[in-house]
Amino acid sequence: MAHDWQPDFEQLVDEHQSMVFSLAWRMTGDRGLAEEIAQDVFLELDRHLGKIESPLHACFWLRRVTMSRSTDALRRRKVRGMDLWVEMDENHGARMEERASPLGARLEQLLSTLPEPQRAALVLRYQEDLTPEEIAATLNAPLATVKSHLQRGLKLLRAKAQDSLREYVRVKECTGGI
Amino acid sequence: MEDFENELRQALERRTAPPSLKRKVLEQRSRLRTQRLRVRTAMWQRLAASVALAAVLGGGFAWRNREERLKGEAARAQVLTALRITAHALNQMNEELASHGNAGQK
Repeated sequence: MAHDWQPDFEQLVDEHQSMVFSLAWRMTGDRGLAEEIAQDVFLELDRHLGKIESPLHACFWLRRVTMSRSTDALRRRKVRGMDLWVEMDENHGARMEERASPLGARLEQLLSTLPEPQRAALVLRYQEDLTPEEIAATLNAPLATVKSHLQRGLKLLRAKAQDSLREYVRVKECTGGI
Repeated sequence: MEDFENELRQALERRTAPPSLKRKVLEQRSRLRTQRLRVRTAMWQRLAASVALAAVLGGGFAWRNREERLKGEAARAQVLTALRITAHALNQMNEELASHGNAGQK
C-alpha cells in the first residue's frame, strides 16, 4: 500500500525534539547526556527516514529509539562505576528553580532513583500518557511485565515521596520553620 | 492515589528542548552527508580506475598476441617463398640435365 505522506526531517525535529529530550533526560538524569542522546536519535532518524511510513510511526519510532539509547547510556555509566544517584541529584538540583511546584521537582528527582525498568514505564505512562499496551510495544516488553513495573514503580515512588515529605516536615519543625 | 498520579503527571510534563539542539542536529546531519558523499565518490573513482587499468592491460595483451601472430605469418610466408624458389631452381636443373642427356645420346 503506497503512502502519500512524505517525512520532512526538519519538521519532525521541530515537532518531537521536546519529547525526545525529555525522555532522555528523565531516564538519564543528565541534561548534557540527554542532549547528546537526542542528537544521536535524530541523526539515526535521518538514516532511516525512508522507512518511516506516517506521523504516528515517526512518533513511535522516536520514542522507541530514545528509550533504547537512554538505557544503553545508563548501562555504560554503570559499567564505568559512576555514582548515578549523586550525579542525578546534583543535576536535578540545579534545575529545581525552574519548577513551579517543589513537590513536582522532588518527584522528578525521586523518579531518577527508581530501577531503570520501573522508571521507563512511569515516564512513558505519565510523561507521554501511553497506555500499558503502548508502553509494552515501545519497550518491546510483555504487557504483564509493564503492568508490574508500573504498579511497583508507582508504589515505590509514593513511599519515597512520603518519606521525603516526612523528613521535610521534621526538618522544618526542628529549625522552627526557618 | 489519583492525586498522586496527577501530581506525577504535572511533574513529568515535557521539558522544552534546548534551542541549540535543532541547530546541532542539522549541522551534524550536513557534515555526515558530505562525508558519505566523499566516501562514495572515492569508491567510484577507485572502481573507474580499476576498470581502466584492466582495459589497458587486456588491450596490451591482445595487441601482443596479434603482433606474435603477424610475425608468425610473415615467417611462414618467407618459408613458402624459399620453398617455391628452391622448387623452381630444382625444376630448371632437372630440365637442363634432361636436355643434356638427350643431346649425348644423339
